[in-house]
Amino acid sequence: MIMHREMLGRISLLLCLSAALAQDLCKQDAEHGYKVRLSIKTALGKEAYNWTENEMFLFQSTLAFAMRNHHREHKFEVSNIIVCEETPRVSFWFVVTAPGSNSTLVQRGDVENAIRKSRSRINSVFLLSDETLEFIGIHPTLAAPVTYDSPPWLIAFGVVMGLIVAGIIALFVSSAVQKKRKKQSYEETEDNMWIENGSARDGVRNMAFVEEDKFTPM
Amino acid sequence: TEHHSLHVQEVPGPRRLPEGVGGPEAPPSDPKHGSVLESPDKARAEWGSPMQFVLACVSYAVGLGNVWRFPYLLQMHGGGGFLIPYLIMLFLEGLPLFYLELAIGQKMRLGSIGAWNAISPYLGGVGIASIVTSLYLCLYYNILNAWSFWYLFHSFQSVLPWAVCPLNSNQTGYIEECDTATPTQYFFYRETLNIAPSIEYNGGLHTGQVLCFLLAWAISYLFVVRGVRSTGKVVYFTATFPYLVLFIYLIRGFTLHGAINGILYMVTPKMEELASPQTWINAATQIFFSLGLGFGSLIAFASYNQYNNNFERQAVIVSLINCGTSIFACIVTFSIYGFKATVNYEKCLDKTRLLLLNFFNLAEDTISIDNVLEWIEKLNATYPMEFAQISTKLENCSLERELDTAVEGTGLAFIVYSEAITNMPLSQLWSVLYFIMLLLLGMGSMLGNIMAIITPLQDFKVFSSISLVCLFCMLLGLGFTTPSGNYWITIFNDYGATFSLLFIVLIEVVTVSYIYGIKRFEKDIEDMLGHRPNWYWKLMWMFVSPVLLIALFIFYIINYILGGVPTYQAWNKDTVSYDYSCHVRRISFMFHFVLLFLFISSAKELIFSPIFVC
Repeated sequence: MIMHREMLGRISLLLCLSAALAQDLCKQDAEHGYKVRLSIKTALGKEAYNWTENEMFLFQSTLAFAMRNHHREHKFEVSNIIVCEETPRVSFWFVVTAPGSNSTLVQRGDVENAIRKSRSRINSVFLLSDETLEFIGIHPTLAAPVTYDSPPWLIAFGVVMGLIVAGIIALFVSSAVQKKRKKQSYEETEDNMWIENGSARDGVRNMAFVEEDKFTPM
Repeated sequence: TEHHSLHVQEVPGPRRLPEGVGGPEAPPSDPKHGSVLESPDKARAEWGSPMQFVLACVSYAVGLGNVWRFPYLLQMHGGGGFLIPYLIMLFLEGLPLFYLELAIGQKMRLGSIGAWNAISPYLGGVGIASIVTSLYLCLYYNILNAWSFWYLFHSFQSVLPWAVCPLNSNQTGYIEECDTATPTQYFFYRETLNIAPSIEYNGGLHTGQVLCFLLAWAISYLFVVRGVRSTGKVVYFTATFPYLVLFIYLIRGFTLHGAINGILYMVTPKMEELASPQTWINAATQIFFSLGLGFGSLIAFASYNQYNNNFERQAVIVSLINCGTSIFACIVTFSIYGFKATVNYEKCLDKTRLLLLNFFNLAEDTISIDNVLEWIEKLNATYPMEFAQISTKLENCSLERELDTAVEGTGLAFIVYSEAITNMPLSQLWSVLYFIMLLLLGMGSMLGNIMAIITPLQDFKVFSSISLVCLFCMLLGLGFTTPSGNYWITIFNDYGATFSLLFIVLIEVVTVSYIYGIKRFEKDIEDMLGHRPNWYWKLMWMFVSPVLLIALFIFYIINYILGGVPTYQAWNKDTVSYDYSCHVRRISFMFHFVLLFLFISSAKELIFSPIFVC
């Protein structure tokens, strides 16, 4: 009987201690913790869901999943993710404790790598994106830029340049053809026709001839 | 008697043999002029119809300046009130000088050199000066078209390349240069121009720009190679399509969020600006350059007219269309300004809102964009200590300040407009439309410049191959595709034509009014049109326009002298303003000395011309 009571006392002391310890581990500006900020209304507008305890539970389990993904040998549980300092903004701090031990924290760098690895999965669980589910201190990896094998502007340029060059060539060809045709028909008709105005070509312009008639009004 | 002022009654046109029968065409009975420069065998080419001539003039006069210079001036000089000096200057200076140039071209039926030689052999230098100025313009103007092509081709992508910054090498962030500036500025200065930190720097040619530049010249060549026959058909498109695009943009602009802010800003006149002389001077110069006077293009265009073409009406029509287009483009520009300013203002408010939400950990829907400013007051009152911590990060958002940023030139066209386009839905479509419009405006003006050079050369049969002229200009223009090219373009733009043109046109109007004689000129016009110009035109030609031009001329000289050492803005990691170095200053003087040289060369006429001139 006495042992029972003692054990009970010791267990409750341990529990209190661990709870207190846990509270100590997670605080604002914790050394190995991260601040999370969610902007649900910005991301989803009318379809926004409310942030409840259940959503928090989901977050803890998702993070445990991310930790498990990163450290394959360790089995992280939901209880290993300790959350505190929740605000109406929907922002809070969290720390990650090692599985099996309630007082050792997982290093900050480890947590960051785990989150980076599974970032897109975490985002999709909450229907959010890198900008609306922020881990303060972990920069979002930027989307790789779209690369093209052949730059599209060269294609457009090639099309237009080809058309213009074709136009210029067509112009020259048509003028050459016309000249040839003219020459041919000229040679044909030279013998027969007396070109009426041909004399102008043969003549000489008389520079002294004044064509003004302002001196001789009629 | 002098050959210059022969009056010839129009005789019926030459009898032409049907096509294909062969033989040269009969010489037309051209109204005779002082020096017969063209071979009597060849009939002068003509516009297919008077409409082609009008459209060519419109296409030439309505250019990039209407879109990117006039809105800036309007903004700087008091919004709607600027229209008053603008319209006054149009009637005092623009219309009469435009009419004058058309009259000369149509009467003399020669390009600028021949026409001025015909008016007075001592002043043939004016024609040469016009050609040289047009040559300067031809060298660099196609680069602007090349840039339009570059942007046009880059619009065919899923994401416009000037909408986002490219990532740096390890993909952790954006390229630093792009981060400190904006993506549109980065795209223009780094990816389009690959601009050097100063004008001294010489790098290789930018391949992309070279390709687009070649394309621009290929198209220009195609348009002018057959003379007015090809140009006449092209201008149907280059003159009308930009209006279609402007109209579409007008509708789009009016439906943009916040456009009304821009329109109100434009329309509300600040009458006190009218008191400043700078406003009037800017109005005068804008009319002057917008109509393209003094380059010789108008003379060249008019020289292909029929002798009795009613150019008086056409001059009025074209000038009014040009002004109307400026105002039209202004409305579109200001609605886009309003949109852009509103978007930026709201982005600024949103940033402030987020800052407050995140710092004070309030629920998301407590602060909205509308009550950000109230909340700032509230929070400042309730938590002054905490508020002080973030007060340095708080930006002062002001719509007025966003609207007040006035931009002109390439900055407006390629940076501000592109940025506005990225914010529109279906931005690729709007981008394509916009840059096609810029292209057509630039090409239309380019046609006039090339014709201004080619027409007199063909008259004299010196260096008259169009291909050679285009090739020459193109090869020299390649220099502008180097990293420092943009700085050179700025020099050419600011100094190459402004001063010389004023002088040229002043000499033009004084020559026609006093040396050639206003009475003789009147009779020429009566000969062509059937009636004399009325008192308004004569008053302007004889007194008002020369006085205005002299005033402008003096102002420019004073400004130039008082301006001290010219400086330019260079794009560096941090934009710095540099003095022009010594050799560059000398080059800018070169432009003015060319003019002097030309007038000296025409002065030789005085010494060597034969004494008898009858």
